[in-house]
Amino acid sequence: MKPSEILTPIKQRYGTAIQRIDRLDDRRLVLHVDAGALKSICRFLFRDLDARYIAGIGADDRPYSGRFMVAHNFAFDRDGLLASVLAMLPADAPEVDSIAGEVPAASWSEREFHDLVGIVPRNHPNPKRLVLPDGWPDRVHPLRKERPWNDRPDGYDEDRPFAFDPAPPGCVVVPLGPFHPTLDEPAHFRLYVDGEIVRGCEYRGFMVHRGIEKLAESVLTYNDIPMAAERICGICGCVHNVAYAQAVEQAASIPVPPRAEYIRTIMLEIERLHSHLLWVGLAGHILGYDTLFMHCFRIREPVMWIAEKISGNRKTYALCLIGGVRWDITPELHDELDQVLNRLEAQWRPLVSALLEDRNLRRRAAGIGVADRALIKEQGLIGPVARAAGIDIDCRRDHPYAAYDRVDFDVILAQDPDVWGRISVRAREVFESIRIIRQCLVKLPAGLLQAPIADELPIGRIGMSSVEAPRGESHHWLITGENHRPRRWRVRAPTYQNLQGIPAMIRDQRLADMTITLGSIDPCFSCTDRLETVDVRTGAVRVCPPEELRDRLRQRWNEPTTP
Amino acid sequence: MNMEGILALTGWGGLRWVGPVELFERGPVWLRDWAVGWLPEGAKVWAEGLIPAVAVLAVFGLLFGLATVAERKLLGRIQNRPGPNRVGPYGWLQFAADGVKMLTKEDVVPRSADRVLHFLAPIVMLAPVALSLAVIPYGRDLVAADPRCGLLFFFAVGSAAEVAAFMAGWSSRNKYSLLGAMRAIAQMISYELPLVLSALTVVMMAGSLSLVEIVEAQSGYWWGVIPRWHVMTPWGLAGLLLFMAAAAAASNRAPFDLPEGESEIIGGFMTEYSGFKYAIFFMGEYFGMFAVSGLAVTLFLGGWQAPLAVLEAAPSYGWFFLKLGVMIAWFIWVRGTLPRLRVDHLLNFGWKYLLPLGALNLLVAMVWRGLGGWAFPGAGAVRWLACLAMIGLPAILWGRLLMRSRGWGPRVYRYAS
Repeated sequence: MKPSEILTPIKQRYGTAIQRIDRLDDRRLVLHVDAGALKSICRFLFRDLDARYIAGIGADDRPYSGRFMVAHNFAFDRDGLLASVLAMLPADAPEVDSIAGEVPAASWSEREFHDLVGIVPRNHPNPKRLVLPDGWPDRVHPLRKERPWNDRPDGYDEDRPFAFDPAPPGCVVVPLGPFHPTLDEPAHFRLYVDGEIVRGCEYRGFMVHRGIEKLAESVLTYNDIPMAAERICGICGCVHNVAYAQAVEQAASIPVPPRAEYIRTIMLEIERLHSHLLWVGLAGHILGYDTLFMHCFRIREPVMWIAEKISGNRKTYALCLIGGVRWDITPELHDELDQVLNRLEAQWRPLVSALLEDRNLRRRAAGIGVADRALIKEQGLIGPVARAAGIDIDCRRDHPYAAYDRVDFDVILAQDPDVWGRISVRAREVFESIRIIRQCLVKLPAGLLQAPIADELPIGRIGMSSVEAPRGESHHWLITGENHRPRRWRVRAPTYQNLQGIPAMIRDQRLADMTITLGSIDPCFSCTDRLETVDVRTGAVRVCPPEELRDRLRQRWNEPTTP
Repeated sequence: MNMEGILALTGWGGLRWVGPVELFERGPVWLRDWAVGWLPEGAKVWAEGLIPAVAVLAVFGLLFGLATVAERKLLGRIQNRPGPNRVGPYGWLQFAADGVKMLTKEDVVPRSADRVLHFLAPIVMLAPVALSLAVIPYGRDLVAADPRCGLLFFFAVGSAAEVAAFMAGWSSRNKYSLLGAMRAIAQMISYELPLVLSALTVVMMAGSLSLVEIVEAQSGYWWGVIPRWHVMTPWGLAGLLLFMAAAAAASNRAPFDLPEGESEIIGGFMTEYSGFKYAIFFMGEYFGMFAVSGLAVTLFLGGWQAPLAVLEAAPSYGWFFLKLGVMIAWFIWVRGTLPRLRVDHLLNFGWKYLLPLGALNLLVAMVWRGLGGWAFPGAGAVRWLACLAMIGLPAILWGRLLMRSRGWGPRVYRYAS
């Protein structure tokens, strides 16, 4: 289907409600619609045209158009099309009909723009705070342009506890997190447990926000942001780095030299390699199988070394600038990378065959954390979670970027929508990554690393980029702006969607399966939480001497506990 | 130096020339008698109990230290990494460093914990396990206590560990602790049954509850080469396998370490323990492993008996500890090889697999004894194979049936709406 074939039915049904249609290119579409028709159009896209929901974006556009802006992004994976449905809201009454009733996957996005931009989703099914802490004053919305990036509003009560929903009758509350041996990052799940059976949960996360989006639109400039973007995530940072650069390049129509595209592909696949190897090890650890954990980490290590040789860092490669890359694959690195891949494949193949034939592990992991097709559709689950259920989506093929349209690879699928299927998908995807890197090394063209950019980037253009992170689709959406920085930049990490499926996945199964179910989406809380604006006491980084830390602790300790 | 022997004190006042074989074999007993002899009459009774107790605790205390290092080293080998190799020669003094670390750590007690129970739980864990070490014969005449009902005593005191686990879980006032304690109780009680059933088979065949007599019942050799250990019979072999599977679960060893499954419930009933109390729990767990391993050696592997007549020159306790070492190595090997089970799988395995097979094994032992009267050529082999088939085939078929992978089905929400 071409964009026109999707547009025809929409135009027929909503002719007058659609103000303007921008075709950014063959694979990107922006529909400017009336705010009143937004809900109906979104439902039509999601239900009738079977689009996948990506993310909702709220933006404060008052300095430019005098209005607020809200957008919902959808993906037509079979057609390779990304669409943004965009509506403007009046500055004095930023309200819009909530689509979460029709499109459950939009629930968090709407709660988020309610918190951060102050756009109220009317009739939202669960209108609680998502991002901001409960002690944050009402009507202070950090992403509004009048708030400074290092704002600390009056009346912020840092010690106010979260207001949790009451537990259902007959259930005991077991808190999981923010600190738990298998949570590598803080998040809090308030589990309602009946014996060992989990009946439901409430999630409070967003504990590691760093205000990266606010920084990007107020402090940093276009070429600073890639470095901040890759600090969104400790394990798939390069994904954000590339996705951001691509969104800007698409918005400003900057052609990227082919060599740079191949190098981006190579680095993204190196990242997928080490991320998947890490995850299989962690899954083994969560399942009480430390031998697997140790072997995975041993096999993974050379990948980190070669990444360090290429970029100077094991992680955070600082790869992209707008229009190109910073690191080259020299002939020596070329050979060494080849050797690393050969060794990796030789070590990983026997391990995978042993792993996938292990009946004990299979019995342990099969049938738990089930996310069936219906749930995946409703909550917009992506990546290995979807592929394990046999849903054939992969941004590398569906929305090709970098050099993925020039290499040959298979999208790995499984027919088990459970933890076992996810283990199997990730373990086998490693071979595809190896295949992709090898092809890139063969095809790597000579040429520039960086496109020459002479002019300032145009203003007010929209860019969209989806990159297949190891955990699923990472989506970046931005509007270019003045002062060499975007007006608004929104990052939707894969875990943001996948976490929304967790309450349904853990329901009515044992507490013992909770951690591996959560682990099976490969959660990355820092990605999800990227956007806290609450900065902290001074806004400046300061090293706290141990004496002071001890004094503070002692002070806390001696304080009477507040009732 | 007299080449035929050395001058030795054989008991109080006895002094004669003995060979090295006899010296090593009898040495520990003579040493005890000699020490007791010095004491006044009233203290002798106490000393006779105390000296073996101290000896057992000292030996197993040291073994505990060495076993922790051995475990980490062996696991390291399995996982393709070096393991501890810094403290002492080849890292073998690591346990001393760990002990010092544990001793100097802060002992944190939760504010809302029941302090008395919280304090008592580790002691209640360790003491009965140490008691159960008393009835195991470590060598010829080398047993701290030989009551007529040794085996019964072993299981009776051994089950006090469940109480300790629950005390720890309850007194910590932590939900994870309580969950761990509940798991521990469910698991230990479930697995005590197959454990006792397979021990019962031996009792039936040996005709005694005394562990010393059970070892003596396994003396001698078939055709002068194959030791008459119980493990050499089909029911004994099956019994040993059942016993070891149940023993791993009863002593909370991986892959049955659910009560403290750290990736699920943090530390189980030990979550709120730190410092030396934690170390005592740890020690109790290892002592438990030593005790069941020692019992397995006693029941099935001929206790302190040598595997060949010519090897009887080596001291009998040497053979016992060698076999014990093999058992411990087996535990470590299993830990490095298998992933942890889930609670329901664990209980299914205990109740649906080990328990029926344990009962069947009892039947097999009866048949074995019943067929003992056969006297045609090759009767022994026929009897052996018949009994092996009787336990082996059901074990394989039943296992296949239970292991059928169920995969996933559409989610059915049974409780919540």
